[in-house]
Amino acid sequence: MRLKFIGVRLLRGLLTLWFAVTVTFFLVRLLPGDPVLAVADPNMTEELRAKLLADFGLDQPLMVQYLDYLRQLVQGNLGMSFRQSLPVTEVLMERLPWTLILTMSAMVATVVIGIPLGVLAATKARGWADRLIQIGGITAQSLFVPSVGIFLLYTLGVLLGWFPIGGAIDPDATGFAATLSMLHHLVLPCLSLVLIQLGSYVLTMRSTLMEALGDDYVALAKAKGVRPSAVVWKHAVRNALLPTTTIAGIQLGMLFGGAVLTETIYAYPGIGRAIYEAVGQMDFPVLQGAFVLLAAAVVAANLLTDIAYGFLDPRVRTA
Amino acid sequence: MTDTTATPKTATLSGSGLSAEPDPTPARRTWQAFRRNPLGVGSAIVLVLLGVVALCAPLIAPFPEGYGTDTSQPPSAAHWFGTDDVGQDVFAQVIWGTRVSITVGVSASALAIVIGLLVGVTAAYFKRLDAPLGVLIDLCLSLPVLPLMILVAALAGPSVRTLVIVIALFSWPEVARVVRSQALAIVPLPYIAAARVVGGSPLWIIRKHLLPGVVPVVGVSVVLTTSRAVLSEAGLAFLGLGDPNSWSWGTILHKAQLSGSLATAWWTTLFPSLAILVLVVAATLLSVAYNDARNHRR
Repeated sequence: MRLKFIGVRLLRGLLTLWFAVTVTFFLVRLLPGDPVLAVADPNMTEELRAKLLADFGLDQPLMVQYLDYLRQLVQGNLGMSFRQSLPVTEVLMERLPWTLILTMSAMVATVVIGIPLGVLAATKARGWADRLIQIGGITAQSLFVPSVGIFLLYTLGVLLGWFPIGGAIDPDATGFAATLSMLHHLVLPCLSLVLIQLGSYVLTMRSTLMEALGDDYVALAKAKGVRPSAVVWKHAVRNALLPTTTIAGIQLGMLFGGAVLTETIYAYPGIGRAIYEAVGQMDFPVLQGAFVLLAAAVVAANLLTDIAYGFLDPRVRTA
Repeated sequence: MTDTTATPKTATLSGSGLSAEPDPTPARRTWQAFRRNPLGVGSAIVLVLLGVVALCAPLIAPFPEGYGTDTSQPPSAAHWFGTDDVGQDVFAQVIWGTRVSITVGVSASALAIVIGLLVGVTAAYFKRLDAPLGVLIDLCLSLPVLPLMILVAALAGPSVRTLVIVIALFSWPEVARVVRSQALAIVPLPYIAAARVVGGSPLWIIRKHLLPGVVPVVGVSVVLTTSRAVLSEAGLAFLGLGDPNSWSWGTILHKAQLSGSLATAWWTTLFPSLAILVLVVAATLLSVAYNDARNHRR
């Protein structure tokens, strides 16, 4: 039973990934902006142009290119960057750890801050704390990522000078100092992502917990004389956490989008900054590869949350 | 003809639990409840004002172009929002930016809503298409949208038209999901079966019976989808994919990022940021107020 459950999810993840890859492949080839023109200069000699096109496989029929692309993708090859004479995989893999550090730390921080805030709002429903948290939550969902990033950069970075405003690490630092410098550089970009994500976690936690607090088992626990804090944290929160885990999966796509914008502001050397640079240089293989890589990360994370959900809630497994 | 369509329409709304008595009409009840909510009315006024600014931009400020003599000046009586690194008036940029940001937002969301309505209603009405369309919607929703938009916008070449199409192309699944779940609740209702029995064509049933029940839900999406589209446009423009010949709020931020004034001249980024914030918060509050007004629970 459990194997079948995981198998179905795995299949769905692979389908999503195939869909993402196929859509981008055909979009890139069929859109008016011709990638051939991006590599080939109109002033080039005919032989040089033909050689370049052959090098990138752009002279083949579309279906051959597509199958070729899929075959290479399975082998972990995302093609060559148009601008840097490097494989796209190499360009991106060098950047990936930074993006993972940024997004994962932002996610953990959001959960750690967001869940208690949601609990506070739900248990004090209709009080001033609840009002404040709700207004804050709605506003936070309306924030524009670069605006938040620029605001934090200007206030905490430039005016107060507490945190560095660009880069990911001090290149001269070694050992423990390097770790410290890395964390120091992480604060502002991470905080920007936390602020924009917090709203949906808090509001979801609030509404699911309020629902759970109205359930019979909560009334029973109260009637038995269980301490109020234990009723909330040991009984209701555990059930309300489940729907909140699914947000993590849904939000991940948005989180990566936010990372692209945040990394651009802070010159943080992750995938997002690579995307920004590739936009400026019209380096389509890098853009395409970055999307495929991020889509794969989202699929993998969704798979993990689905499986985690299945372990936590037996009802999902049988459904 | 008009009689037969009017009766099922009220049946739709009471049958699906959207609202209660046929008299006064549900739309009027919603309006009456909405009117009493100061937050909703205030947000609506703010949005109308932004629309007026967008329409009347040429009357408010000259189009910002060329080089000025006062570079990187903080806000003053002459330049309310200060000037940027080439001496252009930031106030004029924000005013003209309102025009492009709102144009792109409204057009993209209109397009997304049309596609979303079509797909959502089709999926709900034609049982055979439901599974594949449902999978398609889920697939599109689970992808990281911004990187995909970046790829397509970069390929198609930046222009207002590209931005509208790209944003609509990746915003419809959200609408389709909402429409589909609402339509799925309506399709099994007896009056749809009755319409089939009297020999109505699918197109007629969808247009006359299914759509009127779905439209109130889409009412909320219009505002939310527009504000999300404005955010998407700002994001793309911030990354340098905005229309190179016009100003949008994202373009102002992009120029500030390029010139490095975001670390030195706070006024170049604060005012466009505030404009985005005001629009999106007003849109969100308006949709919250509209939803509250539509639920006549109190």
